[in-house]
Amino acid sequence: MKREVSDKTILDEFVEDFVKVVERHCNYIVVSGFVAIVHGRSRGTEDVDMIIEKLSLKDFDKLHVNLLKNGFECMQSVDSKVIYDYLINATSVRYVRDGEFLPEMEIKFAKDELDYYQLATKVKLPLSGLDIWFSSIEMNIAFKEEYLKSDKDLEDARHLRIIYKDKFSEEEINKIKKDINRVRMNGKR
Amino acid sequence: MVRDKSHMEQVERWANFIRANPEKWKKQHKEFIDAQIIMSRRFYDRLSKTKDGKKKIILLRNKQIQL
Repeated sequence: MKREVSDKTILDEFVEDFVKVVERHCNYIVVSGFVAIVHGRSRGTEDVDMIIEKLSLKDFDKLHVNLLKNGFECMQSVDSKVIYDYLINATSVRYVRDGEFLPEMEIKFAKDELDYYQLATKVKLPLSGLDIWFSSIEMNIAFKEEYLKSDKDLEDARHLRIIYKDKFSEEEINKIKKDINRVRMNGKR
Repeated sequence: MVRDKSHMEQVERWANFIRANPEKWKKQHKEFIDAQIIMSRRFYDRLSKTKDGKKKIILLRNKQIQL
């Protein structure tokens, strides 16, 4: 499933350009809907979800300034302190290319052991045709089936199950689902 | 509108098409994904040229931040 440069979508190019800046500053993973879309899922999206490791204000400021230099702007503020307050309070922030509405990159800090597990088990997915870090296929399926659960998410999970048939671990999915229940849902299923 | 089982059937049909046709799906998919962004950008461009269009865009952007 090799993809040539000309095969890349506007979304692909946006994500690659954004990642080129972020990877110079911190660990990151791209998660959720874009993982399904980059594997051919035919649905729309306005935002791409990214989790980054928690940074100090000083280090985040360096990342933010570098993003601005590379043609991105944050919709919440130009002030890195204001943006940092969002992030440190577990609220996501959104970056777009200068003057554009979409696509947008929705960034949040890793907030619990599940997020750090996602970062620790990050993978490159050659089938995507992109040289970027993703959360694992098992992680994406587990979150969509156990936590997010909208029609769109269940369809994304089904799509990934078919694309990666015989190539993912059901045992790992079940382990992650248990962790989701313990960490995010306080054991309430 | 409630999504009936035909939605999931279509998801499965398309995913199986991708697996079976690794060189055919990409062009269709790229056009579909790009079209949504291109159409949206064209709309905002048209909106910006209407009376109060730029104000509406600012309102829409602020609403987007709140989501």
